[in-house]
Amino acid sequence: MNTYYLLISAALFALGAYGVLARRSAILVFMSVELMLNAANLALVVFAREQGSPAGQAVALLLIALAAAEVAVGLALVVAIYRTRESTLVDDLAELKG
Amino acid sequence: MIVFNLLAGALLLLTGFLSVYLRNAVHAALALAANFVVMGTVYMVLQARFLGWVQIIVYAGAIMVLFVFVIMLLHAAQAEVGFDPLPWMRPAALAVAAVGFLALAWALGAARAPLAAKASAALLKGGTALALGPELWNTWRYPVLLVAALLLVATVAAVALIRPGKEGA
Amino acid sequence: MLLLTILLPFLGFLTLGLFGRRFREPAPGVLASGLVLLSFLLVVYLALAGGARFAVGDWLPGIPFALLGDRLSIYMALVVTGIGFLIHVYAIGYMAKDPGYSRFFAYFNFFIAMMLTLVFADSYPVMFIGWEGVGLASFLLIGFWYQEWKNADSARKAFVVNRIGDLGFLLGMALLYKLFGTLQISAIREAMASSLVLPAGLALAGTLLFLGAIGKSAQVPLMVWLPDAMAGPTPVSALIHAATMVTAGVYLLARSSFLYANLPDVSYWIAVIGLVTALYAALAALGQWDIKRIIAYSTISQLGYMFLAAGVGAYWIALFHVMTHAFYKALLFLSSGSVIHALGGEQDVRRMGGLRKYLPRTHLHGLAGALSLAGFPLLAGFWSKDAIVSATLSYPFGGVGFYAVALFTAFLTATYAMRWYVLVFLGDYRGQGHPHEAPPVMTLPNDVLALGAVFAGFLALPKPLWNLIEPYLAPALAHVEVQELSPAAEWGLLLVGAAVALAGIYAGYAFFSNYFRRRVPAWYQSFERAGEQGFYADWLYNTFLVNPAKELAFFLGLSDRGLDGGYRYGALGVAALGRWLARLQTGYVRFYALLVLAFAAVFAIWGVIR
Repeated sequence: MNTYYLLISAALFALGAYGVLARRSAILVFMSVELMLNAANLALVVFAREQGSPAGQAVALLLIALAAAEVAVGLALVVAIYRTRESTLVDDLAELKG
Repeated sequence: MIVFNLLAGALLLLTGFLSVYLRNAVHAALALAANFVVMGTVYMVLQARFLGWVQIIVYAGAIMVLFVFVIMLLHAAQAEVGFDPLPWMRPAALAVAAVGFLALAWALGAARAPLAAKASAALLKGGTALALGPELWNTWRYPVLLVAALLLVATVAAVALIRPGKEGA
Repeated sequence: MLLLTILLPFLGFLTLGLFGRRFREPAPGVLASGLVLLSFLLVVYLALAGGARFAVGDWLPGIPFALLGDRLSIYMALVVTGIGFLIHVYAIGYMAKDPGYSRFFAYFNFFIAMMLTLVFADSYPVMFIGWEGVGLASFLLIGFWYQEWKNADSARKAFVVNRIGDLGFLLGMALLYKLFGTLQISAIREAMASSLVLPAGLALAGTLLFLGAIGKSAQVPLMVWLPDAMAGPTPVSALIHAATMVTAGVYLLARSSFLYANLPDVSYWIAVIGLVTALYAALAALGQWDIKRIIAYSTISQLGYMFLAAGVGAYWIALFHVMTHAFYKALLFLSSGSVIHALGGEQDVRRMGGLRKYLPRTHLHGLAGALSLAGFPLLAGFWSKDAIVSATLSYPFGGVGFYAVALFTAFLTATYAMRWYVLVFLGDYRGQGHPHEAPPVMTLPNDVLALGAVFAGFLALPKPLWNLIEPYLAPALAHVEVQELSPAAEWGLLLVGAAVALAGIYAGYAFFSNYFRRRVPAWYQSFERAGEQGFYADWLYNTFLVNPAKELAFFLGLSDRGLDGGYRYGALGVAALGRWLARLQTGYVRFYALLVLAFAAVFAIWGVIR
């Protein structure tokens, strides 16, 4: 059962990675990042169960809090950028190039 | 139990796929929310009940509502339109994701020597708040405090970033 | 007290250097002269008080800033400040109405301060400060009229040639420090006295120090800068390039006499170089037509005499000659200055002559100086020069060969001294214009100098008579075993010297008094042409040193350019690489994310496989 959920976690992580790369709206990129974070959380919970140690769960809890903080700042950034550029597309922010 | 596991796995993969596939941002957000809810139930099954409820309340509740709210606020439901400057990104992303999945799957599945599943699961005492609390406030005392401070900083930063009157908004 | 002596002229330098423009003529000159006079009085007081010491403990690590007023340095300082004061006064008149009036006196005071530092120094690094300081003053004053290329070039030449000698001084210092662990002169002297065995390498250190002296005192082979140094104003030539600075080399030898007295081989070469210099410059002086260059070559020649004396071990005689030479050479230069002044800048003796009528006072000064230089019996130059000539026989490092050449050079000296005098003052005036006598501010110092040039020799007379200088200086100099000549032999040598000098004087007078009216033998004309060029020393240096060095520099410049090119193309290559790599920097966040994730995947695979 543990390996099963670990494989599910890997699949979700890969889906999130695909989303981060393929999505063009900043908000959707963020959502994909959240998916990746959750996949990691799932792996942590599975490890905790396997080891019989609550440490994995504690870290997962902290990660959820971190994700909340990240989303707050990230979405604030998106809103701030939208205010100046009328766009949420990450490809519109391509001025800084060599 | 097996039925639940199979069903939960299928739902997780389906909603995860939908959340990165659906063109409408609101739909994608809802799919993600569903994914988080299922994830919460899976946590409960995996001896992490407190974490499961936190997942449902914080992720599926607070964070996803925030996402949906911002999507609505910015009229970004149909954002994935217009000229795509990197048309080759989609297959490249697919390739990277596939390679990443294979590597992870190998690492977590085939290449890993699973620990002997003792009565270890019982040690977690179901992962209730009562079981997790002492761990959090003993071993993880300082990280908890740090994360609390980080949340405060993030809140202040978020407010400061979108404060009106800045950047000529 | 010692420090004050140095600081007074330095104060003058600072004041005049910073605020000189606010003074009206002749205030800067009066101020500068007054400060030097005060310095002179202080030195007199020091001489009566019997000397002084001054030291600042840890000036450099292990090397104190030590000043020492012993009899040697006080003697030298008396010459420097005394003659210096007279020349300062003269310059008040000579430099009148020059736009750089206060600048001139600032430099002059700076020179006196640095010269006193050099003289009073009790450690070689302090002496080196003075040494370089007078070099700088010399450079500034040679190029005083820097608007003309020739003057600026002469200044640079003097500076560069001096640097060669200074390198020797520096290396010598380093070697001495290695040998003795200190650079304080009195400490080294004590170390030398207390140890019976000479440290190895001492001869090399002495030679290197001597190289410094060669450069400063314009000895062969570094003599080429001094004739060109006459580009500066005449008081500069008198003060720096005749009376004081150029004798610093002699002073260095005397100061280090405890070293050289133990180094017969080095001393021998000092004497040889001195002799060669004396002969060379005396011959070259016969070919000069510039009134100041004649005296410049005679200065080199007389410095050669001093080195000869120091080389044979007669340090006090060298210093005696320093003093008498300071008097009559300053007098000669200042008389030349008066002549140049009177003729409105004319320096060619071929357009002079007959000036006795126009410049009676200056004529007397010139006569006194020239006769003293020529060694006319009973004048100052006679006593000191004959002391040197006979010292080659009695002092330990001397020899008969030295004596013969020195005597022949004495003959030449008398001849060119008379040539100078005759061409300038006798005969008929060959130029245009109306010469006028110099003002009293210029003639009065010359009167004093003329007195010195005539009577200074009576301070030290041969054996049965009194000798004030040798016992006075003896404690400060190294003791050398003198093989005493009998009084009869000594006076006999003196008579020979007098006869030679008189013969030279007569020859010079007879040959040059109607030089322009008769045919001069062809061999003499070609000799004269060669002498005018200083026997092609400059040409030799240019051909064998300067030009090859220039070619080498040009060649090295080419290779340097090649090297630069290599670096430039290397840099261009790197820049091209950078531009190519910069294309990775697309600006698209998703592209960066792709790279991050792709490499994360690669590392994940690597981690798994490993």
